[in-house]
Amino acid sequence: MGVQHSCNACILVAVFVLSVSIPLAMASDPPDESQQGSVAVRLYLTEGPLPVDDPMSAVWDTVPASTFDMAPQVHWQDRIQEVTVKSVTVRGLHNQQELAILLEYQDPTQDPADAAALEFMVGDKKAHFAHAQEMLQVEGGPVNIWYWKQSNGKAIDMWAKGFGTLRPQAQQDVKAVGMWQDGTWRVVFSRALTTGDSEDVQIEPGKWTSIAFAIWDGKIVDGAIKEKGSQKAVTSWWYFRAEPPPDNSIYGYVVLGLILAAAFEFALIRKLQKGRHS
Amino acid sequence: MNRPLAKAALILIGMYIVLVYVLPLFTAPLPASLIYLYLALTLSAVLIYYTISGTTLEEFMGPIVRFLSGVDQVGPAKTARLLVLIVFPLLVGWQTYTRLAPSDLPPPENRTIHPAPPGEFVGLSNPFPKTPENIMMGKGLYAAYCSPCHGANYDGKGPAAPGFNPPPANFRDPGTIAQLQESYLFWRIKKGGVGLPVEGMPWKSAMPRWEVELPDEFIWKIIMGEYDGAGQSPRTWEEEE
Ligand code: HEC
Repeated sequence: MGVQHSCNACILVAVFVLSVSIPLAMASDPPDESQQGSVAVRLYLTEGPLPVDDPMSAVWDTVPASTFDMAPQVHWQDRIQEVTVKSVTVRGLHNQQELAILLEYQDPTQDPADAAALEFMVGDKKAHFAHAQEMLQVEGGPVNIWYWKQSNGKAIDMWAKGFGTLRPQAQQDVKAVGMWQDGTWRVVFSRALTTGDSEDVQIEPGKWTSIAFAIWDGKIVDGAIKEKGSQKAVTSWWYFRAEPPPDNSIYGYVVLGLILAAAFEFALIRKLQKGRHS
Repeated sequence: MNRPLAKAALILIGMYIVLVYVLPLFTAPLPASLIYLYLALTLSAVLIYYTISGTTLEEFMGPIVRFLSGVDQVGPAKTARLLVLIVFPLLVGWQTYTRLAPSDLPPPENRTIHPAPPGEFVGLSNPFPKTPENIMMGKGLYAAYCSPCHGANYDGKGPAAPGFNPPPANFRDPGTIAQLQESYLFWRIKKGGVGLPVEGMPWKSAMPRWEVELPDEFIWKIIMGEYDGAGQSPRTWEEEE
């Protein structure tokens, strides 16, 4: 075999070896750090009706959960230094039309003033998690709050932009059902992904937004409700999204990649075999 | 005949082991893209070295060419060749998939922890003398207003700290107040999380805007108490220059 022949081939071989080494090197990506503790709530995509009326539905047991620590609200007045609920577990589902979010948390007593709320940013502007309080260097937007209270037996769809501005919306779009059993509240909030109301968060599958939580233990202690108003358990913003339907277009590119690689091999081997025989 | 090829393989494997397993013992692990770049460089060097003259080129490429062309191959070599030919397109397909598959991780944070303060706060100095009384008063105010989040031990682990992202600052950590001037703290305490510029992501911070509740005097004294309690001292103007 002549040196010239293998010299032609050597370029091809080099390309070949190099391309095999790419995936091998790439396979060693370090593990993702965001796996420690929950940072996001995901609404998993499902088909058919959601268990919006039944917090105890067995369907919920099949949905992956996220858990967030909660802190007593000491950010602004009136503060509270100790709260009953220390963490909340969250599960979510959607069927491309409607969504359902289940909150689950420990509360030893069932009381009429027990309450829970979800908060979202509305529109494209960022909003502070404390009722969209004014930011000094950034122009903020409003928040949408979904508030459930046991004695109301329903959810109230609310709006706020700054302390003292919280109010129910003219158009009510949210539903909530709570059930208490053996020291655990399970509350399902549900709504259409999109509404025609500009005061609401609009949820587009695949797009990340933010969510925050608040919970009140309405137990009567010394004749007064233990947690109410700004005295509650809170979190700051965590990530939130409705999972998008799978995108099948990438399989076309995968097939194209397979075909190109096979064609390359074919050409390379033809070249090498010719080189040997001549 | 096979020696140059074996040597090249050894060099590459050695390089891989050093990059992936040995280096992280001393520094942070390298990102996969850098590892790839270094391996590609090593490979190019090896190729250039062995292909520089006709004889070494033939020694180096000969076995590869014979292996891939498959002429007169029998037994294990034949199977190995078939495997390589099947695995290569699969790897390409798999790479295409992992590159194109949409990331389902939340967007990266990229929050600037210490953005520049507004001009009016630059260069202010604490108008109160560091007397034991002032420091004590500052510590008392700290215990009342700040310790629920920043902790009675100044370590960011107060009872109201869980559930916040970003978490309350740990003042014992050399990366927080030890790096800052008193004037910077005065700004942060007075204006709180909502006073941050956009790169500090003010919408996420639980740090209260204390000017609403506390007079400047309290804030300056809290700063004294905070440094003293955390066992840190403020960065001074001279160090900055
Ligand atoms: C509700 C919880 C909370 C309370 C109460 C609170 N902080 Fe903070 N603080 C935070 C959080 C969260 C951060 C980190 C985010 C940020 O920098 O805004 C922070 C950051 C800071 C920083 C910036 C440190 C740095 O390295 O940039 C200072 C200084 C500070 N706090 C001082 C205080 C003082 C003094 C008080 C009491 C007067 C106080 N904080 C009360 C939550 C709190």
